Amino acid sequence: MVQQLSTRHVLGIKYLTPGDIRLIFETAKTFKEVINRPIKKVPSLRDITVANLFFENSTRTRISFELAEKRLSADVVNFSASTSSVKKGETLLDTVNNILSMKVDMVVMRHPAPGAHHFLSQHIDANIINAGDGTHEHPTQALLDAFSMEEKLGDLAGKKVLICGDILHSRVALSNVFCLQKLGAEVKVCGPPTLIPKYIDQLGVEIEYNIEKALAWCDVANILRIQLERQDIKFFPSLREYAQYFGVNKALLDRLDKEIVIMHPGPINRGVEITSDVADSNHSIILQQVENGVAVRMAVLYLLAASR
Amino acid sequence: MGKDFLLKQCKIVDPRSSFHNTFQDMLIREGKIHSIDAEIEAEGAQVVAHKGLEIYPGWLDIGVHVNDPGFEHREDMATVTAAAAAGGYTGIVSFPNTHPVVQSKADVNYARQYSDRQVVQIYPAGALTHNCKGEEITEMLDMHHAGAVLFSDGLKSIKHAGVLLRALQYVKSFDGLVMHHALDPHLAGEGQLHEGFTSTTLGMRGIPALAEEIMIQRDLSLLAYSESKLYLHAISTAGAVERIRQAKAQGLAVTCSVAYLNLLYSDEDLAGFNSDLKVLPPLRSKTDQQALLEGLVDGTIDAICSNHVPLEEELKKLEFSYASFGASGLQTVYPALQAKLREPLDNGLIAEKLAHGPRSILQMEEVKIEVGGKAELTLCLPEDHWSLDRSNNKSKSENNPFWKSILKGKILGVINGQQSMFFES
Repeated sequence: MVQQLSTRHVLGIKYLTPGDIRLIFETAKTFKEVINRPIKKVPSLRDITVANLFFENSTRTRISFELAEKRLSADVVNFSASTSSVKKGETLLDTVNNILSMKVDMVVMRHPAPGAHHFLSQHIDANIINAGDGTHEHPTQALLDAFSMEEKLGDLAGKKVLICGDILHSRVALSNVFCLQKLGAEVKVCGPPTLIPKYIDQLGVEIEYNIEKALAWCDVANILRIQLERQDIKFFPSLREYAQYFGVNKALLDRLDKEIVIMHPGPINRGVEITSDVADSNHSIILQQVENGVAVRMAVLYLLAASR
Repeated sequence: MGKDFLLKQCKIVDPRSSFHNTFQDMLIREGKIHSIDAEIEAEGAQVVAHKGLEIYPGWLDIGVHVNDPGFEHREDMATVTAAAAAGGYTGIVSFPNTHPVVQSKADVNYARQYSDRQVVQIYPAGALTHNCKGEEITEMLDMHHAGAVLFSDGLKSIKHAGVLLRALQYVKSFDGLVMHHALDPHLAGEGQLHEGFTSTTLGMRGIPALAEEIMIQRDLSLLAYSESKLYLHAISTAGAVERIRQAKAQGLAVTCSVAYLNLLYSDEDLAGFNSDLKVLPPLRSKTDQQALLEGLVDGTIDAICSNHVPLEEELKKLEFSYASFGASGLQTVYPALQAKLREPLDNGLIAEKLAHGPRSILQMEEVKIEVGGKAELTLCLPEDHWSLDRSNNKSKSENNPFWKSILKGKILGVINGQQSMFFES
């Protein structure tokens, strides 16, 4: 077991080794125990200032990071695009340099441009954690997803994971593919062909267009949100048709001869990609994902701080 | 009056010359090649003697964004011609995408007149459609008489097949040439790089090879129908090479070029989000890259172009998807080809693709190294090392992917008739 991450930034799962992922999981287990104590706070990040830079809307990821930082006793500054000078035309580099002049040690950033974090890592000195870069990666989401799956199913090697929905616009899908493959799981994607990248098979991922067959194949189904905000053109004719042919409902699950685990990174479009009775059923580990999110993010922050 | 030059012990690189690949002295008098011989003595001529000196027929680059008038903060006539000379070019074809667009004889004259008595000749391209909007054809006859060498909307593709057809038909009255950069904007969509494994792993919308190939297919059909002349600028895919190869075999008057970066790099080089290499046409797959090299060697591709798109830092030093497409390239074509593609491209092929090919696309008179001919020459030092930085960058823009990297192969100077320009070696 390695004791240190192989990298000073978490820009994407692509750039982590399986050893890094294992180390993050082991550390997260400790922190999960911590956050269930009566006193949920540890002093690990005392004197470390973390800036949460959100150039795109986020509620749960931002809160999850902020909670993780505060439970590690970090000093936290928050910045979101709607209240910032970005709207006045300032470049990312200028914005971030200004913030760093205020002596920030770590940056957690969400940004609409794929690769924005790479760009930043070439220009600034702080540790960078990617909290989502456009349609590229969302590494901490994939880590918490895999962590939650492992908690439920044990070792993921050989397990069958279905990722369902808008694969084309999803950073969660891509990070999940990379993460699950590094842990030895098999991955299949399902959705309308217009929402599946043409070359996804070159990543070693299988494609299934029939939701019923796909669900019958898998041990876990991670159902993605339909990202209407990222669709500048129509990729499918209507939400109604999508819900009918690609949505996951109780009738579909009842027809399976086994129990599968249902996941969703949130926020849920209830009645579109997943019906309420599935989201709220005991197949679903959606709320465990949220809880694990804080522990996994604490682990990532802690391990990066240790690399300083 | 221009100077006379005596070039000592230079290797002549010109497959169309009887002196190809021989070491000679060359005397240039009053802008002409006076004599070529094993040893020449001459009074009053400036002696140019450099170890390893190679002499090519002057290079010509089709499709340079001059940005003057309108975008002089990127480039102007003086800097673009200086950059061209420093890159070894004696001529460039300027794109019409200025502000205002080059669409009248006055606009054509502005560029023509600038290059009078300059070492680098500017051959203006006139716009194919008004304001390069792809809707109505321009006064091409008038521009032709003013000196426009071809008609195009630059890197903007013509969506409307009828417009391109009418342009192809209209230029036949003066044996004119239409240039098209083929990329279907609906299929390219918001694509940021070649669609393939790399675009998938980077989570970015891709520009499928199909976006180019479907339009080239269309263009070739329009060409066959109109029986006109078409030059396809900067092709990038294996499918495009194959279609053009077949069209040439069928006898269509089609020519094409490739941008030098597409020969050197593939989409895999973008895995680190390097926005300096965000160019149009996009860097394609390794298979496409190989097909382009084969197309050059077998003659399907007639010329190599720099695809010079100078841009300010504010448009390039950005997150990949926000950065603009384009790279400055005039000064780095030769060293890049020289250092990295010596194997498939020997110097004879470089002469063909940088000097002869572009002129035959434009139906211009051949410039070859023979006694009595015009001295239009590029002087190179293939073994010399240098790097492009602010001390020697002649362009106003710095968006060159080779910026500050060590390059092998340097331009010593250019001679064009009575005009010449030399650079420090």
